[in-house]
Amino acid sequence: MSKITTVIFVLCSWMASYGQKTDQYITRQGQTSFFSYTSVENIKASNNQALSILDIAKKEIAIVILMRAFVFEKALMEEHFNESYIESDIYPKATFEGSIPDFDGSLNDVQTKMIKGVLTVHGVDKNIEIKTKIEKTKEAYAFSGDFEVDIADFDINVPPIVEKNIAKTISITFRFEYMPYEE
Amino acid sequence: MKKNNKIIGLGLLLLMVVVGYLFFEVFNESGIDIRKAETDVTISAQNLVSSFLDNESLANSTYVEKTLEVSGIVKEVNYLNDRYTIFLDGGETFACLMCDMNTDQIEKIEQIVPGQTIRIKGICKGFLLDAILLNCVVLQ
Repeated sequence: MSKITTVIFVLCSWMASYGQKTDQYITRQGQTSFFSYTSVENIKASNNQALSILDIAKKEIAIVILMRAFVFEKALMEEHFNESYIESDIYPKATFEGSIPDFDGSLNDVQTKMIKGVLTVHGVDKNIEIKTKIEKTKEAYAFSGDFEVDIADFDINVPPIVEKNIAKTISITFRFEYMPYEE
Repeated sequence: MKKNNKIIGLGLLLLMVVVGYLFFEVFNESGIDIRKAETDVTISAQNLVSSFLDNESLANSTYVEKTLEVSGIVKEVNYLNDRYTIFLDGGETFACLMCDMNTDQIEKIEQIVPGQTIRIKGICKGFLLDAILLNCVVLQ
């Protein structure tokens, strides 16, 4: 075996073992959308820049989202959302920190797990549980699911004049495709 | 009499069209036409990312919701969730400028390769691990 072949072989096996040691996964382009359905109007907004880190050894997950990066169908809705309801200048980010106690990173099958954690929106913390579908992908894992939150839980002030336009319960969907985290 | 009715009818129709158009313009405006928007700040991607890393709250008040013209070296172009994103080198190992491209930019994006220096115009939304620009167009 030539020297170069030996070096390549050693490097490949080192890379393979390095890959196995990677416990952290990241996405900078997580997709999160929310929906408000009322008889007056339907409001939808999407954000494609959620940042999330998943640690499969600790079975922990952290997500941070810029509120101003939610894109609405109508510019006026976006303005109201940022200026009046979420107050994005004061509370620019929403965060979620949670754990997946029974997560098994070695499974190749689709698994459905409950993620328990704290969602912080508009400066208010709320304990929630999110049912999440976890798929193994070519690179790592994809997390997806949907859940609901009550706007009353987050101290969001909706003026009586638009009360009928905004649902009391907001539906949220998400899809995060993780990649190995390499510093 | 019939002629009068026709004129009134036409007038009403015209009025409805005008009102409808105005309503559409005011309430159904989907974002801003970034090409027509006046540029607030011209900056390099590296300087923009450094500003956020140095003092995020100061950078937020300087750049957030402003129309920026940014020049930088393309690090990566990807297509995820039905949209194109261009990452410009931020000078740091990990932090970049993440540019969410407008859907009408596909032809221009397909010609862009990593390593190329380009100019992008978009609206700054803040900073997470990267500085984030939405509604982006490639400038020639």
